[in-house]
Amino acid sequence: MAETMRFILIDKIVSLESGKEIRAVKNVSLAEEYLADHFPTFPVLPGVLLLEGMIESASWLVREAENFAHSMILLSEARNVKYKSFLAPGGQIEYTVEARTIEENISSFTGIGVSDDERIVEAKFGLRHFNLADENPSMAAVDAKVIENMKKRWKMLSSG
Amino acid sequence: MAMSRDEIFGEVQEVLVDALGVDDDEVTAEAILMGDLGAESIDFLDIVFRLEKTFEMKIPREELFPAESLMNNPDFVKDGKLTETGLTELRNKMPYIELGDFANDPDINKLGDLFTVNTIVSYVDSKLNAA
Repeated sequence: MAETMRFILIDKIVSLESGKEIRAVKNVSLAEEYLADHFPTFPVLPGVLLLEGMIESASWLVREAENFAHSMILLSEARNVKYKSFLAPGGQIEYTVEARTIEENISSFTGIGVSDDERIVEAKFGLRHFNLADENPSMAAVDAKVIENMKKRWKMLSSG
Repeated sequence: MAMSRDEIFGEVQEVLVDALGVDDDEVTAEAILMGDLGAESIDFLDIVFRLEKTFEMKIPREELFPAESLMNNPDFVKDGKLTETGLTELRNKMPYIELGDFANDPDINKLGDLFTVNTIVSYVDSKLNAA
């Protein structure tokens, strides 16, 4: 279940301009399990997880803008992804994601992640948003549960 | 199988388009694999596999992209920079690339900038045309 798997690649949303731009930060900790292998004496956040943080930031922009209408917000495409520099434990990355367009079921963004004035990651990407019940009405309860969890997570990420 | 550098470049370009999902006009000779084309850890395995198939050669682990063995060894890296030993190791492992400014400031964060499309082309060229 989503609430027991702690897969969250941002720590805090620092600013949000509804429907337009979101900024979020992630602090990298030596305690993150995947760093043990990536790499043993030179831990750095894997590229896919740098991108994931950016995607999560964008998904919150969508959720807030559409008032949590959809349970599922997934990556549909990523283009011009660039990994400019490594991000190591002790570092903090700030993602700035700007919406190019947010429509009912699709949205597109440009994003950048910066740490200590150093560009870490850049990408252009698109998301798609939907409810499981769109295809399968019996899944409406699952949609409701996911949305409820996302609202709780939103409170944690955007508080303070 | 004697291939010209241009022919090798053409094949390498196709490999990178397939492995990285980029357009062929993005894959220029100078394009940096991570910094321009978005290649990351998993991609390097995929690239090596595809090169082996395309050029019918075996590419031993770490021969094309020695970054991991360099970064994992505390003799080679100190305070976020390659040591003299590390630089020597890099030169030995990748004799076909120009270190340029990197030798003056071997910042580990900039190691990725050395891995360009040309790096792959030069590697394949040297292996295919070895005596």
